[in-house]
Amino acid sequence: MIRQLVTRDSVAVTGSIIGLASLPLGWLTLKSSRLAAGTSLSLWQVVGWDGTMVMLGLWLIALTLSLTKKTKWQAISLGISANVILIITLALAGFESSRMLEAEETFARVSPSAGIWVTLIASYILVFAARQGLQEAPAWRHLVSWTGLAAIGIMLAIGWLDSLSLVQEFSGREARFQQELVRHISLFAGSVTVGTLIGVPLGIWAVRSRRAEKPIFYLANITQTIPSLALFGLVIAPLSALSFAFPFLREIGIRGVGPAPAFIALVIYSLLPIVRNTFVGLRQLDPAVIDAGLGMGMSRAQVFRRIEAPLAAPLVLEGVRTASVQSVGLTTVAALIGAGGLGWFVFQGLGQAATDLILLGAIPIIGLALVVDTVMRTLVRLSTPKGLGGGEP
Amino acid sequence: MIRLEHVTKIYGDTLAVDDLSLEVNEGEVCVLIGPSGCGKTSTLRMVNRLIEPTSGRILVNGKDIRQVRPERLRQSIGYAIQSVGLFPHLTVGANIATVPELLHWEKSRIARRVEELLELVGLDPKEYAQKYPSQLSGGEAQRIGVARALAADPPILLMDEPFGAVDPLTRERLQAQFSSIQQELKKTVILVTHDLDEAIRLADRIAVMSAGKLVQYDTPEAILSRPASKFVHDFVGADRALKRLSRISIQGFVHPSPSIGVNATLSEAMAALQSHRSAWVVDHQGQLLGWVDQTTLSAAASVREAIVAQDVTEISLSSSATLREALSRMLGQGFKSIPVVDENRRLIGEVTLSDVEAATAEAEA
Repeated sequence: MIRQLVTRDSVAVTGSIIGLASLPLGWLTLKSSRLAAGTSLSLWQVVGWDGTMVMLGLWLIALTLSLTKKTKWQAISLGISANVILIITLALAGFESSRMLEAEETFARVSPSAGIWVTLIASYILVFAARQGLQEAPAWRHLVSWTGLAAIGIMLAIGWLDSLSLVQEFSGREARFQQELVRHISLFAGSVTVGTLIGVPLGIWAVRSRRAEKPIFYLANITQTIPSLALFGLVIAPLSALSFAFPFLREIGIRGVGPAPAFIALVIYSLLPIVRNTFVGLRQLDPAVIDAGLGMGMSRAQVFRRIEAPLAAPLVLEGVRTASVQSVGLTTVAALIGAGGLGWFVFQGLGQAATDLILLGAIPIIGLALVVDTVMRTLVRLSTPKGLGGGEP
Repeated sequence: MIRLEHVTKIYGDTLAVDDLSLEVNEGEVCVLIGPSGCGKTSTLRMVNRLIEPTSGRILVNGKDIRQVRPERLRQSIGYAIQSVGLFPHLTVGANIATVPELLHWEKSRIARRVEELLELVGLDPKEYAQKYPSQLSGGEAQRIGVARALAADPPILLMDEPFGAVDPLTRERLQAQFSSIQQELKKTVILVTHDLDEAIRLADRIAVMSAGKLVQYDTPEAILSRPASKFVHDFVGADRALKRLSRISIQGFVHPSPSIGVNATLSEAMAALQSHRSAWVVDHQGQLLGWVDQTTLSAAASVREAIVAQDVTEISLSSSATLREALSRMLGQGFKSIPVVDENRRLIGEVTLSDVEAATAEAEA
């Protein structure tokens, strides 16, 4: 019987159980100032027993749906309940935090506690489970995936969540946030672009020349094994030497610390996935296809343009996707050598032990990684020739 | 049309093709055959310069192919290979259109040509032009491969085991189709195979190769009846007499056979069987119904009742069949003669076991 339940939808069941487990956890934390330790308030302390019963009821509905036989409508109901939980949780958090702050001193802060974070995670596990059941119904799948995020966006825009400490942290640093976000995006996007421009030709070279293959992969593999911070450090030394030797480099902003060494290190990191996927994409092609192309009178360039490039494109883009997602993360570390980016908030926050500041950096980084991943997956799918199934890789 | 003069190809220290000279006449099918590694594929690939000979020269229409740009040369020579090599990201139509596109034909002309070729290889253009190679069966893919090779109507066709990757039944069907296409188009063809039956079936001349050397170049009949060396003798095998029969059409051997109308009286039927052990029975249109013999006739009340009616298609042959097929029917059915029918199943005549024996003896002599 348990086996039967588990085979029903183990992901959704897990999500529901995690959701139920979030109920007794601390919900909001009230602090007298930004850096002070606070008092954790439970769900019933915040919203009372009736509110608690509503949350409990919603999670029990979700659990029941998780144990129900998988159908399209089961998946839709599951997705809807997950979104309702998400929206109600945040709406309550926004409402209750402003109510609590009214009674407190100016410097007091209210921040979400473990309970809210766990609820968010659990509801997205349910969204994920619901998506699996909606492969055939893309309209519902998109609705289930994006409603919650859209609601969060609206609540942020209309100021509903303004009393939460994280949003307050943002309000004080709006200009800085924008600057670091742009810096983060240009660092990772620029480095992946340059990495692609170098990596793709290297991959092609490795396929064409047996002599080049070994050293190219040796280097690409080695760089990947160097820890990111160490690589950033390694780039600093030669760059500062260069900028001392050629002062004009300093004038255009190339110095031992700052964005320049970070950019170089990020380019180096992006090489391996791109070189490797270009190599595999070309190497896996059926030799008969190329033989047929040449045998029918295509020039080498025509074979590349008409056959090899379109057939290898999805794998190459898959490599660019890996490099992009990886680069979004690594750019965070680049803040340590003065390159800026969203990592700046993370490390500032770590230094001050200010959790909200850390989150102000971390949450957009995660969001950015997810967006980049989605966009690149779409590109991969669009680039897959129809004759090759056209599905997800 | 195609002339190879003292062509040698050496890879590293392996001698792949050794001083090979060969001439293929216009409109002929030359089949290169031999054990694997004998250099037949290398020979083929030198003709369109996919590989270059180490020494010697190759002439096409009297012109040394080294004077032609490889791309231009290959565009004028059809090329079909065992693994087909259809471009998986292009539709069947776009695959067939490859060479015409390289030659910058007009769009409407290409579309017409694609349709023509699909019809030529027996695939419905409406259904197949928009399909992708992954949606084709092995046999269909090979037919598209041949259609693609024929696209720009090249006078020469190079085929490397073009029917190799399919099951025997499909292969036979493709070979028959190729024969009839070739009869219509009269291309100059060099075809590589390791399948002797295929060579005998398709070739005007067979080039037997061994260790890079041409050991015999002759008509299939001659190769089978007069192997030039022990190697060829062993290669064609002990059943070469049988194989030779598949080169001989039954057409010259069909002679009138005793037949009885289904409405004949018993006594008429008995009279017809005076000189034969059995007779074929036909209806009023002359269509074959089965056969009768004295035993079945004596036990029956009418000719219709006496017919031993097997599946008629199983015992009869069409006039395009070979003596080998006739012999195999005889052995399979236990008959001494096999009826031959036209496309409307009307009885034309019969072929007898003694005809097959006579043909064998004649070829042996």
